[in-house]
Amino acid sequence: MKFFNNIFLILFFIIIGCGNSTKEINIYTSRHYHSDDGLYSIFTDKTGIKVNVISGKGAALIERIKSEGKKSPADIFFTVDAGNLWKVQSKGYFQTISSNKIKSIVPENLRGPNDEWIAIAKRARVIFYNPKKVSYNEIKNLSYEDLSNPKWKGRIAIRSSNNMYNQSLVASLISNNGIQKTETWAQGFISNFARKPQGNDRSQIIAVANEEADLAIANSYYIGLMLSGSKGSDQLEAAKKVKMHFPNQENRGTHINISGAGILKNAPNSENAIEFLEFLLSEEMQKNIVKNSYEYPILENVDPHLSIKNFGINFKEDRTSVADFGTLNPEAIKLMDRVGWK
Amino acid sequence: MNVFTKQSISFWNIFPIFIFILFLSPIIIVCSSLIGDYNENWSHLYNYVLFEYIYNSFYLIIGISFFTIIIGTTTAWIITNYDFFGKNIFELILILPLAIPPYILAYTFAGLFDLNGSINNFLRLILPVESNFVLFSNIRNLYGAIIVFSFTLYPYVYLLVRTAFLNQSKSLLESGRTLGLSKFQVFYKLSIPLIRPALIAGLSLVIMESLSDFGAVEHFAIPTFTIGIFRTWYGMYDLHTAMQLSSLLFLFIIIFIFFEKLSRSNNLYTSPNESFQRLKLKKVFGFKAFIPFICCFIPIFIGFILPMIQLINWMINYNLSFFDKKFLQTTFNTISISIVAAFIASFIALLINFSIRIKKTKIIILFNSFLSSGYGLPGLILAIGIVKLFSIIDNIFFNIILTGSILGLIIAYLIKSYALANSTFESGFSRISTLIDDSSKILKSNGWNMLTRIHFPLLKTSFLTSFLLVVTEVVKELPATLILRPFNFETLAVSTYIFASEERMYEAATPAIAIVLVGLIPIIILTNMIKYSKEKMKN
Repeated sequence: MKFFNNIFLILFFIIIGCGNSTKEINIYTSRHYHSDDGLYSIFTDKTGIKVNVISGKGAALIERIKSEGKKSPADIFFTVDAGNLWKVQSKGYFQTISSNKIKSIVPENLRGPNDEWIAIAKRARVIFYNPKKVSYNEIKNLSYEDLSNPKWKGRIAIRSSNNMYNQSLVASLISNNGIQKTETWAQGFISNFARKPQGNDRSQIIAVANEEADLAIANSYYIGLMLSGSKGSDQLEAAKKVKMHFPNQENRGTHINISGAGILKNAPNSENAIEFLEFLLSEEMQKNIVKNSYEYPILENVDPHLSIKNFGINFKEDRTSVADFGTLNPEAIKLMDRVGWK
Repeated sequence: MNVFTKQSISFWNIFPIFIFILFLSPIIIVCSSLIGDYNENWSHLYNYVLFEYIYNSFYLIIGISFFTIIIGTTTAWIITNYDFFGKNIFELILILPLAIPPYILAYTFAGLFDLNGSINNFLRLILPVESNFVLFSNIRNLYGAIIVFSFTLYPYVYLLVRTAFLNQSKSLLESGRTLGLSKFQVFYKLSIPLIRPALIAGLSLVIMESLSDFGAVEHFAIPTFTIGIFRTWYGMYDLHTAMQLSSLLFLFIIIFIFFEKLSRSNNLYTSPNESFQRLKLKKVFGFKAFIPFICCFIPIFIGFILPMIQLINWMINYNLSFFDKKFLQTTFNTISISIVAAFIASFIALLINFSIRIKKTKIIILFNSFLSSGYGLPGLILAIGIVKLFSIIDNIFFNIILTGSILGLIIAYLIKSYALANSTFESGFSRISTLIDDSSKILKSNGWNMLTRIHFPLLKTSFLTSFLLVVTEVVKELPATLILRPFNFETLAVSTYIFASEERMYEAATPAIAIVLVGLIPIIILTNMIKYSKEKMKN
């Protein structure tokens, strides 16, 4: 009988799940940071709009949106990768964001070509180096392109090419230098690896701290997480041993990627969705995001978290349109396969 | 002809066919991609990466099969034949590693054995060595992955083989001894051939699960076939080619199953008189007891204790304020949905296997083996097939929306875990002599009556084993849950994943431990069940 009770219980949940008609907003997110729950509950407190969330891999959520079609309850697609935003945009699932308030805040290179999506926060893909092993002269003016130089042989740590941050970086190099040049660069670059690509960005930073490698490419916010001590004292100690360098300051600037969101075409609550995006770009929430995820803000008058700010904030950002990362991502993958970047 | 018509409208034929249509549709949807175009990404795959993917997957399953057979059968043999210090506890806890999903084990192993992992740090602390001393230099490779999978998946072999050992007739093995076979010869000349169906059933689960895994191999950065599927989908934005690759993987499994069935089709494995006289347990003391003890301890230590220590270590390092309302809700969701899914899956598998037994309809037998093979599709690809199936159903029946409903999620679990339930009942039924059926037919017991009064009582252990296996599978299930769940519906596996995908292991540890604890509940029930049936036998 117990089993049947449970079945009834579940059916009961389905029924109460269906009969809800309060003000709400449905978010499909692949940005499943724990701190985002905090953002949602502040939004509900302020506006009375209930936030419903499902999280998962971006590509899988896109398939769900596709198969739900016109009946899809999704209002907002929220992700940490410009490539996925581009993918949704290219299938025509997004609507144009008309809010002038939003457009005045988010610079053009951090929006979709027709304002289909916008950036909520930025991250830079930077170089972390061990000052004991890399001299100031070596690191000064260093660009991504320089890392194919044989003098870095056995000195570089970076994660696998399965990782979308690496795919976006290579896509941005293709966008700026062309396929041919980038492929030659990648051949030199991978022959400089200190070890087989493995682990996440943080383990690259740790490898540099432990002198397994002299420098590593990783996203900027990871060092903030490590310095916060919330990852344990080992990581805090490791983070203290490394320094951050912003590549390509002499030319186009350091590679930037975004956390971003767009409103879906069939969104049942599109007005609430605009309100939500405006809310995310408000000063208070930008501060909140910066504090919890250590990303760079979109709003100019907000400072990044102090531990990130200390590495410098007035660096030159690569203005390559993030939409390019999406279009060139398949090329980037194939290029990495060809040169044997595991 | 009359007989045929009568047979085909019977419940025992209609029910399985209905289930097959439902269960096979997502697989057919995935495989229909094979008919479509083959775009230019294929030449890229073929020229640069495809063979590497195949090579890695091949070595992975060879290695895992080797170790799971050794670990699974050795422990099962020791537990069924020897009485030694701790035997009763080992009997229960040998299946514990099953409660830890491979990707969690991979994370903990990386945490333990990395250059600066807990083990190397610990050794540096206690041994008089230099600060850069490294005993375990690299766990993130093919061998590391083989170890991880073997120690988390061997319980499939152990569980099914142990049930088979338990049901071996005492008289047969004793005849072997009387006829001059040594103890070891009895083991590999009589016992092993007799447990082959169970061994193969367990092994195919192991192989399918390791072929479909994504999390663990990704963490270890081993380019397997499944990695290739996801790289094609996520990176090249080409779901179509990804589905074609999955279909090829699926075809490989079909061929594997087909040859396996073919190779044992000539043998009759049911013993004519099922004897409940079990082998008397051999008592071993002192130093001699040390060997079975160690043999059972090592798998549990590597597959369960060590990762649990690491998880608890992470958990304590974080904070202990996790017992909030959300966590309890998540746990409740996980438990209730897995119980419902496991009950339904076991019930369906029981009915279908019973139907096969009494009707022997060829087409159903054939379909049934296809059904299990769905288990070897990467979970997320199967989930995509299910999403597409649901969108078809949703479009036909306007008022039912399966995608994003609990009902849809349960159906997905049934499709995903049916193989587990099915293989348990397959080996369960194969151990009941067909003579019993004939006798009951003479006594005019048929259909439901025969099932409830004759077979079900004999299959209680199978039912609970199946129930347990499906519960542990559903508790761990991730890809289908992620994509099909309703808003705000989290399970423990989802919470674990959300933290682990950011490699925030401290936070991931708590839900991971909860998965293990929830997995323990059915194990306790199963144990009581076995004890109860043993006592009943004594009386």
